[in-house]
Amino acid sequence: MKPDLNIALLNAAQEIISRFSPLIEDEYERSRLSSWGALVLISAMKLDDAGASLDKENQDIIEWLLSNSRIKENELEILKSADSEDNSISFLDENNQKLRRILSDEVEFLESDGQRAKVRSAYELFRSMHQRRKVSDLVGLLQQKID
Amino acid sequence: MSEELSKSFLSYYSNLSNKVFSLLSFERIFGGASRETYKIRLKDSLGSEERLILRLSQESSLIETEQRIEYLAYSAFQKSNVPVPILIDMSEDDSTFNAPFMLMRELNGEAANPFTPNGYSPYEQDIGIQFWSILGEIAKRKLDNDIFNTFAKDLDKPFWKTELDKWVKVIEEDSIGVEPILDAGIRYLYSYPPKEAKNICMVHGDYRSGNFLYLKNEITGILDWEMAHLGDPLEDLGWALSPIWSWQDKDRPAYLIPRDEAIEVWESSSNCKVDKKDLEWWELFAAIKGMAIWISAGNEFKSGKNIDPINLFSAWIPGDIHLEVILNTLESKI
Repeated sequence: MKPDLNIALLNAAQEIISRFSPLIEDEYERSRLSSWGALVLISAMKLDDAGASLDKENQDIIEWLLSNSRIKENELEILKSADSEDNSISFLDENNQKLRRILSDEVEFLESDGQRAKVRSAYELFRSMHQRRKVSDLVGLLQQKID
Repeated sequence: MSEELSKSFLSYYSNLSNKVFSLLSFERIFGGASRETYKIRLKDSLGSEERLILRLSQESSLIETEQRIEYLAYSAFQKSNVPVPILIDMSEDDSTFNAPFMLMRELNGEAANPFTPNGYSPYEQDIGIQFWSILGEIAKRKLDNDIFNTFAKDLDKPFWKTELDKWVKVIEEDSIGVEPILDAGIRYLYSYPPKEAKNICMVHGDYRSGNFLYLKNEITGILDWEMAHLGDPLEDLGWALSPIWSWQDKDRPAYLIPRDEAIEVWESSSNCKVDKKDLEWWELFAAIKGMAIWISAGNEFKSGKNIDPINLFSAWIPGDIHLEVILNTLESKI
């Protein structure tokens, strides 16, 4: 599909913010539409790598679990579906939620077992997961667009 | 909806005041997620103008609280060193406007966007001293017995556990995804609780930049008391200091004065001494409570109960920031 989905969304956001929002006289409705414009803009900017980011996070969690937790490869049924050819965001997200649950439970066990080095390594994984997902760094850009 | 509401309001207020009014304007204010807020201007038959604020409970709101609690909290600070709007009326039933409501006089001033740096420029110093000093005044205010007793019926000790349990329950009920960082933060709070507060005080519950009005270098009103309750004075301090309210300049909480100065002003005004370790706990608690609020907003949006974009914004941006605050704290403790 050309032009790409993210380009379509970017242009839609631009139109909402710069063209349609200023036409609305009611202050509440104008602010509400501008917020929609900003959120569509964020969506456009994150859309392109959303699938790849989820896939990378799933791979990272699996790798960490196999190196640092009680989970063994043959116990991790999720690994099979993670190796699937299905790269849809919904499928990757379904696996991601299962993996996050296992990860959280294993970190809880490591904390209670006093395994500080492994907990520290889990925090490093948390950091990389968060960095990849976060959209808060786009706030400054959004403000510029709306202003 | 707004036209129907404005007609009902005109009829209601004319009856209440026993005067004939005409409506000059009736505008909804964007941003409030727990109440629908309207700014109203009226003129009576002699040409005198009245400026009012009407707050309606939302059927589906981010923070579900009783209108009466907010009204009583405002009542507790009428004619005090804490500037609040003058109250006119409230109702907990929905017979007048199809929702519980509260009516008050509009104060002069404007509210800043809490995510915009330099919103208070060039008056950061003056406003900063007032902001932290007023928070101290809230902490030391001796409450009227009736108001105290109404709030005290929900009081349970220890305060930290009551509050943490309350917000963890919201997270459990409204969560739409697994968050290992949040889970670890909650475990930390239960494992290393603070000391029980020596003083019991009114906690505003959402004291932060953006929730007060200012006019040039003066704070003219403290708003949004819907989460008020009795508890530990450090709870409000931890929430107001949270880096989320000064994300692009973390050394100046609320984008006002430096952190150490802010704490000094608060200590001097409240007559309380800050225990650094306990304050750290309440600051981490603030991030967990924030997450509960942002998760709840995301749930409202996803379920379609309230697709106001502020709910999606809350889940995405403040949700991100508070997760990062939790992770920063956890990393500093390991």
